[in-house]
Amino acid sequence: MLNVLDSAVPVECWSCSIGQSTTTLFCPHCSKIQPPSGGNYFTVFSLTPHLNIDLAALETEFHRLSRKLHPDRFARATDQEKEWSLADTALLNDAYRTLKEPLRRTEYLLKLEGSEIGEEFAGKDKANPSRVPADLLEEVFELNMQLDEMRMARKVGEEDPALHASLTEAKNKFEAMVNDVDQDLRKEWTNWDQSDQTVRQSSQNKMVSLLDRRRYLSNLLRDVTETLGA
Amino acid sequence: MAYSDKVIDHYNNPRNVGQLDKASTEVGTGLVGAPECGDVMRLQIRVNPETQVIEEAKFKTFGCGSAIASSSLATEWIKGKTVSDALEIKNTDIVKELSLPPVKIHCSVLAEDAIRAAIGDWKKKNGVAETADATAAAH
Repeated sequence: MLNVLDSAVPVECWSCSIGQSTTTLFCPHCSKIQPPSGGNYFTVFSLTPHLNIDLAALETEFHRLSRKLHPDRFARATDQEKEWSLADTALLNDAYRTLKEPLRRTEYLLKLEGSEIGEEFAGKDKANPSRVPADLLEEVFELNMQLDEMRMARKVGEEDPALHASLTEAKNKFEAMVNDVDQDLRKEWTNWDQSDQTVRQSSQNKMVSLLDRRRYLSNLLRDVTETLGA
Repeated sequence: MAYSDKVIDHYNNPRNVGQLDKASTEVGTGLVGAPECGDVMRLQIRVNPETQVIEEAKFKTFGCGSAIASSSLATEWIKGKTVSDALEIKNTDIVKELSLPPVKIHCSVLAEDAIRAAIGDWKKKNGVAETADATAAAH
């Protein structure tokens, strides 16, 4: 789950009482474990939210923190600290899984920055119910019809080579479209990372619609691949 | 997640699956999609030009069971209604009838959008002045 709290508010370490500007899993002053609340997936890794991530460094940090949170290290700690070490481990795992995967990382950052994406916002944008261009919808629909036809023909034991060929062609085309979307997304990552707030807003909107487009395309690719492979 | 009996019934026996002649002036077509899940839904109506009653409604939906059930139910409900009465149908009515869980409410929204888009298309073809609401939904 998202844990979006205001990370700009300084938090005080429960043990040494020194305030910190961001919440990390361990106090930078006294090294004591901190409760998991207050931060986000980026602050878990002492990162500011950004999209181009050094994955090797992320993995190294994940392993380092995992070791530091290991239950053996808390054998003689207080019950409260033991409880936090478990909760922090869960948070660390969620954070790592989300940040290492490009699409999940992008969605997470967009949510963190207030973009309304994902199922929980579905249908809320009433003034703009379809953020995907009509021609893409048209194409997605047509291809789904062809897929249906092919499945139907299969059921009665017929295979239409022409239909198979046109689906294969469509599959290649949609794969290329997904690649284009991914390239555009990467461009926006850099744009977002390097820009100020005003540019960031428009970059976020672009990423939201790229992700929308990608969802249609990848659903379709999944179905086409499944049907062709069956 | 368990589907309600009504959803399962519509899913197994969808009503009014099919298509109408898109080129006919009596036919309005709405093609809508939910970017959150990648579902696509096409809903078509054939309107009697004299009475403005929706005499035929067909749909084809590629998506989950709830999306199929929502559009199936929508076609059942709008058939026999006048265009303006059909616009009164709200997604919350569909949610109630099908007992959709919160994560599937967007399926009912999609069905409502599809009704509005189909009616919007028919109005555009026939030069009927659109209400502001219908215009917004048709885009």
